Amino acid sequence: MGSSAKRKKEKQKDFQKPKLRVGKAKAKPENFTDTSFRSKAIVINQQSLHVAAPTSSSQFAHHLSLLSSKSDSQRRDSLAHLTTSIAARPVNSPLPQPVSVMLPSFLPLILDANNSVRTALLKLLRTLPRNDVEDHVVQLLPYVRAGMTHLAADIRVSAVEILSWMIDAAGEAVVACAGGWIKTFNCFLSVLGWHTEESARWSSNRASFGKSGSQGRPMVKVLGALAEFLNAGIGQPGTSADDGSEQDNMFSAQPFPLCQTSQHMISESSAPYAYLNLFGQPRDEEGEMYETREDRYRVFAVRFLPAIERGLKSAREEGGELGRASSSVSKVLKEALSYGPGP
Amino acid sequence: MVKRKLGALEKVEADLSYIEDFRAQHYQYESHREIFMAAPSGATDTGIISLRELIDFISHVADCYPEILKDFPQQLIDMLMQHHMVLESELREKLVGSIVLLKKKDLLDSATLLHTLFPILISTPSKTLRALLFQKILSELRQANSKTTHHKLNRTMQTVLFNLVTSDRKSSKGLWAIKLTRELWKRQIWTDAKAVEIMKEASLSENEKVIVGGVRFFLGGDKEREDMEDESSDEETLDVGRLRHNLQINKKSKKKARVAEKAISIHKKKERKKSQPHPLNFSALHLLHDPQGFADSLFTKHLQSSKVKLNLEQKLLVLQLVSRLVGLHKLHIMSLYSYFQKFLTPRQPSVTSFLASLAQASHDLVPPDVLEPLIQKIANEFVSEASAGEVATAGLNAIREICVRQPLAMNETLLQDLVMYKKSKDKGVTMASKGLLSLYRDVGAQMLKKRDRGKEAAMSLRSGDKEQRRFGQQESGGIEGLELLEKWKEEERRKKRAEKGLASDASDASDDEEDDWAAWNVEDDEDSDDSGEWINVQSDVEIDLSDSEDEGKDRPSKKSKQDGEATKENDDAVQEVKLSTLATTRILTPADLAKLAELRAQASVESAVNGPRGRRAAQPAARHTDDPLTAEEIEGLASLSAAKSTREERIAHAREGKPDRDEHKSKEARRRERKQELGKSTTNKEKARRKNFLMTLGKAKSKNKRSLVETRAVLKAHHARQKRGGKRGNAGN
Repeated sequence: MGSSAKRKKEKQKDFQKPKLRVGKAKAKPENFTDTSFRSKAIVINQQSLHVAAPTSSSQFAHHLSLLSSKSDSQRRDSLAHLTTSIAARPVNSPLPQPVSVMLPSFLPLILDANNSVRTALLKLLRTLPRNDVEDHVVQLLPYVRAGMTHLAADIRVSAVEILSWMIDAAGEAVVACAGGWIKTFNCFLSVLGWHTEESARWSSNRASFGKSGSQGRPMVKVLGALAEFLNAGIGQPGTSADDGSEQDNMFSAQPFPLCQTSQHMISESSAPYAYLNLFGQPRDEEGEMYETREDRYRVFAVRFLPAIERGLKSAREEGGELGRASSSVSKVLKEALSYGPGP
Repeated sequence: MVKRKLGALEKVEADLSYIEDFRAQHYQYESHREIFMAAPSGATDTGIISLRELIDFISHVADCYPEILKDFPQQLIDMLMQHHMVLESELREKLVGSIVLLKKKDLLDSATLLHTLFPILISTPSKTLRALLFQKILSELRQANSKTTHHKLNRTMQTVLFNLVTSDRKSSKGLWAIKLTRELWKRQIWTDAKAVEIMKEASLSENEKVIVGGVRFFLGGDKEREDMEDESSDEETLDVGRLRHNLQINKKSKKKARVAEKAISIHKKKERKKSQPHPLNFSALHLLHDPQGFADSLFTKHLQSSKVKLNLEQKLLVLQLVSRLVGLHKLHIMSLYSYFQKFLTPRQPSVTSFLASLAQASHDLVPPDVLEPLIQKIANEFVSEASAGEVATAGLNAIREICVRQPLAMNETLLQDLVMYKKSKDKGVTMASKGLLSLYRDVGAQMLKKRDRGKEAAMSLRSGDKEQRRFGQQESGGIEGLELLEKWKEEERRKKRAEKGLASDASDASDDEEDDWAAWNVEDDEDSDDSGEWINVQSDVEIDLSDSEDEGKDRPSKKSKQDGEATKENDDAVQEVKLSTLATTRILTPADLAKLAELRAQASVESAVNGPRGRRAAQPAARHTDDPLTAEEIEGLASLSAAKSTREERIAHAREGKPDRDEHKSKEARRRERKQELGKSTTNKEKARRKNFLMTLGKAKSKNKRSLVETRAVLKAHHARQKRGGKRGNAGN
């Protein structure tokens, strides 16, 4: 049986581990193919070399287009570049490109999967001038709402952060634009999990849908944003100190026969007849504009007050950081309730 | 993978513990929809994908949260209706699919669904979307009609299609109506006059494609329907016995048992379906409301007027339809026959189709003097010694086909002239001429020369019982095969009486009656057995009825008594009278009718088998009035004349009648194949023959090395075994 023994040995060979030695190259596998080659020169076919450096405006446009890039880091770096170029421009000089041009490429990034991209976006948004934001709240809000109900908790949190920036920048516009009050409120309730009685109990696994985020204390941030939102929507008008002072001005600034002149002047807002909804889809109750505090308070009292009170109660009972955060909301709510439906 | 996940979603019940999560997803969908609706054409890829997935998810669980999703179906419909031109294709398909899914979940009614999908089908430029929509609409209509006919839906849909065809006669959008109607007609979902009306309007349209579509439906729609039915009926015939047998032999498992049970239940269902009464299916040509008006307008609009844009082929189709209508409903369009005049020359392209149409358009109510010049022209142009064999054959065949329908159109001299061609050298011409001859032996023997008449015709002429029919004269009708039934009954009764030992000719009415009542009750036996009370009541009724029936019943039996006494001479005449009275004096029971059908089938088989004479007689009968006359029939045997066809054609023709036989094999091989097909085992001999060569080697080697003693032992053992009759000792023999 010599042949059989030989074959056995051959077979065993296949399963023996090759010995590795220090200082010697690793043995090449049997099917190794040598792909190296030698060449005298390497020619690159397409190459654009310019003597002059690209202008800052062309660079800006280039980075703006890079925002839809596939690579996360590329997007983040472009955002950072845009931020610095906006922030570093001379005071009172116009933006390199108007906001209405830039915004469409910013908006999808609200729902971006990468954390650092969203943080960079928020930084960028913060550098934008406030009065420009006011006109674009309508475009921003749907994305923010989509972010607030996103499955990923991180995206929800950053959407809430963006919302609080928006309230800070243009609070009145946020709560008064079409769909801005009811729909956004619904999103808040859904993020907090306060919609139904059952889900508002502390024992229920609240706000658990989707992936849990890596950033801590999301609920605290949401509650903070809710407080701001409530304040902007139905807060006591005196606190915002807009209407009263304006009215005072009206009477005092103009000479006697010209009282209430500003009512008859051309409106200063960009879309003064937006409430007529001449060109858009017909709106339902949720998508309607609630322009005055009175309207908003009425809707709030009917639709959201019980849910909010219930939610606040359970949050207070939970105590800790959450309880403290809820107290700020309760304070705003108390003020709003004390003021009532309005004068 | 994804499919399975979605499948799992279907099983999610309306569990309130998920409501918060669902609500979040719904808000997500709402905001994505808002983003999308703001700029439907300029949406980003990621936005579209997430919207598509959200729609998919929500529509799969839509039945669990009807409160939250009140507006959802309408939103989808709006999205599709308003933006189907600019939507990204995959999203568009998802929308269509989701709307259909919502219909399946009963969140949407089928009328809304069809009203959504159909306008898009007509207006969209995308081919894939059209295909998808067409398929969805069709399946929706089929599904709605699957259990019972959904009359309301059908009516609305038919009205929509009708309006589509009639509203804009110049556009080709009517094609969709045609496609849909034809498909539903084929599947026997729409079988009513309204569907035919749609097609009628389509064939009167002004767009060529629509016209041809409509005309083709009338010419081929019914054939298609029949084919479809045949196809579905002989899908697979399950051999239940074999299935059971296999179940016993093979390894038993629950799965196999389940499969077998299912197969058997399907088989049973099919059997039940087979025994159900066949649904009444009128052909589309019969369901037309006003065939005369339709044929008239078809003729004047598409054929006669000078500004039609149809090409020859399309014109021929229209002509075929007109002529079929004329032939079938016996209409009168006098200008049609003069229209044919100019096409009847051998140089006319596809002249055989024209000839076939002409023959189709002639019927026995067409005035003979309208047809006579046409026949004369055909004879002059086609039939002469100088013309080619095929041409003459076609001409003669056409003349014969016209004369079958209107024998009076022929005059004596022409007929005698044409009959002379039976001596022609060309086979096709001979056959065609003989055909004409045999036709006139039957319908107008006196027009033939004496020597051409033949024995039968001459005798019947002399006895005077065969007269040429006059114009417009109708044959008195009867029930086909009634005389066969009568004969059979007579025989049965004779047999029965012979058994009882009575004179075979005498009759007794009561016997017959009892049988009759048994025959009536064949079908409702089971019903009456259900309750005891009802049997009593029915027996009373029966007595009453049988009393009242007595006088009616007596007559035929008395007559038969007379028959028995009658002499042989006038037997024939009396029988004829008797036959005609059977249906008028008795009520035919269901059993009688069944027997009648059976006898009729038997007779037709016999006549087909019994030699050429019988076959020739059967031929005109076999041809149904609804069947069209084709150009091939006019061409006749000309195509087969030996000189013209190639070898392949001849072989193909020889094979035509035979069942398909793939290759030549020995009988043994065939048998083996069949055995293997049936899954049966092989014989020991067979096994030995097929044994692997290498396996036999060892034994063969050792055989060589055997010693003499061993060989002897083996031979002895073999001998003993032979004697015993096999290894196990077949002691029985």
